[in-house]
Amino acid sequence: MRRGRWVLALCLTLTLTVTVTACSGDDDEKTTLRVLAGPDLAVLEPLLDELRDETGVELDMDYRADADTGDDLVPGTGTGKGGGGHDLAWLSTDRSFRLRHKDTAQRLLRTPTMLSPVVVGLRPDVARELRAKSPEGRLSWADIADAAATGTVRFGMADPRQTGSGLAALVGVATAAAGTGGALRENDVSCDRLRGFRSGQKLTADSTRDLLDDFVDHPGTANALITYESDLLALNSGGRLKEKLEIVRPQDGMVLADFPLLLLDPDDPDRRAAYDKVVEWLQRDSVQEKIMRTALRRPVSPSVRRDGQLRAPVGNALFFPDQLAVVERLLDDYGDPRRRVPNQVIFLLDFSGSMRGERMAALREAFADLSGADSSATGKFARFYQGERLTVVRFGGRVLEERTVTVGGQKDLKTLADVVARGGYGDATAVWTALDHGYRTASTVVADDPERAVSIVLMTDGENNSGIAYEEFVRRYEARAAETRAAVHTYPVHFGEADAGALRRAATKTGGRMVDARGSSLSEAFKEIRGCR
Amino acid sequence: MSANRTVSEEPRLVVNRPERSRLRRTLALTLPVPVVGLVLLLATGHLLMPLDRVVTIEAKMASKRDFFEDPEVQRILMEHGFRVHITNMGSRDIANQDVQGYDVVFPSGQPAADLITNKRAKAGNPVLTYRPFVSPIVLGTYRAYAETLKDAGVAEPQRNGGVGGRPLYYTLNMAKFLTLTADGRRWKNIGIKNHGVENGNKILAQTSNICQANSGGTYLGLVAFVRHGNDAPNGTREAEDLAQEIKPLLVEQGLPASEMAETYLSPNGKSISPIAVFYEHQYLAHQIRHQKAKGGPDTDRVLLYPDTRFVTEPQLVALTKDGERLGRLVTRNHELQARAVELGFRPRDATADGMSDQLAKFLTDRRIQAPVTSADDTKAVLPSLTVLERMIQIVGDCPEPQKDPK
Repeated sequence: MRRGRWVLALCLTLTLTVTVTACSGDDDEKTTLRVLAGPDLAVLEPLLDELRDETGVELDMDYRADADTGDDLVPGTGTGKGGGGHDLAWLSTDRSFRLRHKDTAQRLLRTPTMLSPVVVGLRPDVARELRAKSPEGRLSWADIADAAATGTVRFGMADPRQTGSGLAALVGVATAAAGTGGALRENDVSCDRLRGFRSGQKLTADSTRDLLDDFVDHPGTANALITYESDLLALNSGGRLKEKLEIVRPQDGMVLADFPLLLLDPDDPDRRAAYDKVVEWLQRDSVQEKIMRTALRRPVSPSVRRDGQLRAPVGNALFFPDQLAVVERLLDDYGDPRRRVPNQVIFLLDFSGSMRGERMAALREAFADLSGADSSATGKFARFYQGERLTVVRFGGRVLEERTVTVGGQKDLKTLADVVARGGYGDATAVWTALDHGYRTASTVVADDPERAVSIVLMTDGENNSGIAYEEFVRRYEARAAETRAAVHTYPVHFGEADAGALRRAATKTGGRMVDARGSSLSEAFKEIRGCR
Repeated sequence: MSANRTVSEEPRLVVNRPERSRLRRTLALTLPVPVVGLVLLLATGHLLMPLDRVVTIEAKMASKRDFFEDPEVQRILMEHGFRVHITNMGSRDIANQDVQGYDVVFPSGQPAADLITNKRAKAGNPVLTYRPFVSPIVLGTYRAYAETLKDAGVAEPQRNGGVGGRPLYYTLNMAKFLTLTADGRRWKNIGIKNHGVENGNKILAQTSNICQANSGGTYLGLVAFVRHGNDAPNGTREAEDLAQEIKPLLVEQGLPASEMAETYLSPNGKSISPIAVFYEHQYLAHQIRHQKAKGGPDTDRVLLYPDTRFVTEPQLVALTKDGERLGRLVTRNHELQARAVELGFRPRDATADGMSDQLAKFLTDRRIQAPVTSADDTKAVLPSLTVLERMIQIVGDCPEPQKDPK
């Protein structure tokens, strides 16, 4: 900049007989910046020539599928550039980077360039069906999770381990599932509450672009998409769909991407000057308007008038967790969307005489709630889902009945309800015999199918007064295969006159956690440990 | 230090870059060269003046760049031979990072400035500081949220000339407000729906990154003061305990949004940060702009003034002789001081107790309600610099500051 002006001054004072273009500093200083770019930025490609013509800065875009979540922009040693030799990074979101490299992230210059929330696109028939069930016709993440668990919603979503949009969606839905109204903390993710939601995922991809292509190319596979609002608007206006998707902005909140442009080495004066030019250009109202029209994203500039659909309120932004461990836990639980094995829960239910009456009614209600009767947000996330395997073991002084169903529809849940509804009480309480039985069943599952997560829920309202002693249970437990012991934890539910100390000991021994149903209800206790394993 | 200062020969001109090069190219086709230069300057509206020495000041600043980026301020500075090139970063980053090559740094509050002046003094390079204006820390919000807080007995509107009974300012009972946050209360629990808004998020004020921004650190100090029975903590031990105690109140927002005022004033501000911590001048500047453009104030965006007040004092730290000249100019020049008022700053001579007459008059003349601060309000005291730093590190889990290479 300075040199440019100096040259201009020289031209004026000395009236040099040189060509005028030599006097125009801007045009002299052609700069090329190498940009680590997220695939979501490719849509701006048509504007980059204009940028070059008007600022003299050429952006050499290096698109990487995992730019938003990878480590390419961590400075390499001594280069002053990103590890991949980049000068800038232009991502859909830098949240993952800020979480993992707090220190480096603080030193970069950062400019948001446009905004887009992560939302849900639904086929009109599905949207209608869901709205009809919702009291005010407004849909939440919980409604989507509920419908995913029943198989009504079959959605596509980019892999959160690779993409910013997938990560934002995952955090959004997990935050809604925790339902605390705050940013996710470690407590909130200690159990995986998204199993039902995830069972509805039928399409995934390593980039949003591929996701959209797959969605269009395989129309029968999915009837919903979870991605940036801009992707859905583009899809709807692109003429590739038979029916436009209805855009749903979940009422419990969304996560917003702000597409930041980052200068990786702010101390290099030349790159800094070029970055300043690019930023100044991007922030012009005329350019913001072009970005809005081209990318269908919301302008950052308040003075640019937004087009039609972009005027819709975005809903409340959910708080994004600031702890890496929380996000890592979410990603771990999320696993590989292409290789999903539904889990199995073994319910050991006390059918001793003391369970008669109110207590049994409470137990049946708890099962009804988990089968879809609970209309609260947490209930919708915690419910039984498609493909989940459920084993119910009724016990009294001995094991009375064992029944396993794989949830495929309402009839399977009915089967389960019937088992719980059957009378046939025992006259004693063989807690440890039942638990030992549970582990025998679990061992078989683990041996047959090591990928399947198995957990045991032990509900009892009395002290052990029959069958084997706790010590004998422990002896047999310790004799079981290491795989079983490592993978299968027990979650006792403390009810009625049960021995809290003994149940807690069993939980600790097996790596589980005890919940107390006495202060709340069996339903709440079952919900609390759903997804724990 | 002077090695990095740039003094260049050039005419005084108002920069209007994008137009210029295209025009220049067009003219080049038709006119002989020497004439082009002259016509160019005249045509683009620049004054053709005798050549002068214009100094480019390299500056690091945070929110106070609002002042230096104002075209009118730039014009006045140019008249006095200054152009200011700004690197934008948070105040605490300014203090913790290398200042090599800069003429001035202008952190938004005293703590960051003290960090710098202390370091320089220790290194045998004492520096001069200048305080051109002040601005209180405030919580920006929206009508529905302020009214919900009013219903909950936590905020009280200021009744001194709001348009049609729609006051722009509310006094916030900080102790009660923080209790709502501490109890994990959510907006939907205190009836936000009665004001036409759905929000299940927790009731809290969002701040810019505590590790980076003066406003974040100052708000932390304010929260600590209020939760400690209106007293600043004494000593490191007490401060560390207090920091742990108030941490949950401040980290509930998760990963902070980048610039609070910017986010708040953006069209989606109400969705992203319905209560945001920033400076009064940023809000007033918005209202002044709004009034000019639309003929009246923005009555949906309102301010909450904490009843425990804190007025921030941005300090311009001069690191070179040119920096000192700039510091003297911005504190003494009447035109610049008057312009600061037009940008919503309280002039330096305003007592910390009240809004200056100048600013109040400027607002009232434009039919924008002027905020009043009650004499009953408590004035918050920030803990000493080292103690505040310790608290910031505990609450923000901030990365260790780089070693300053002087």
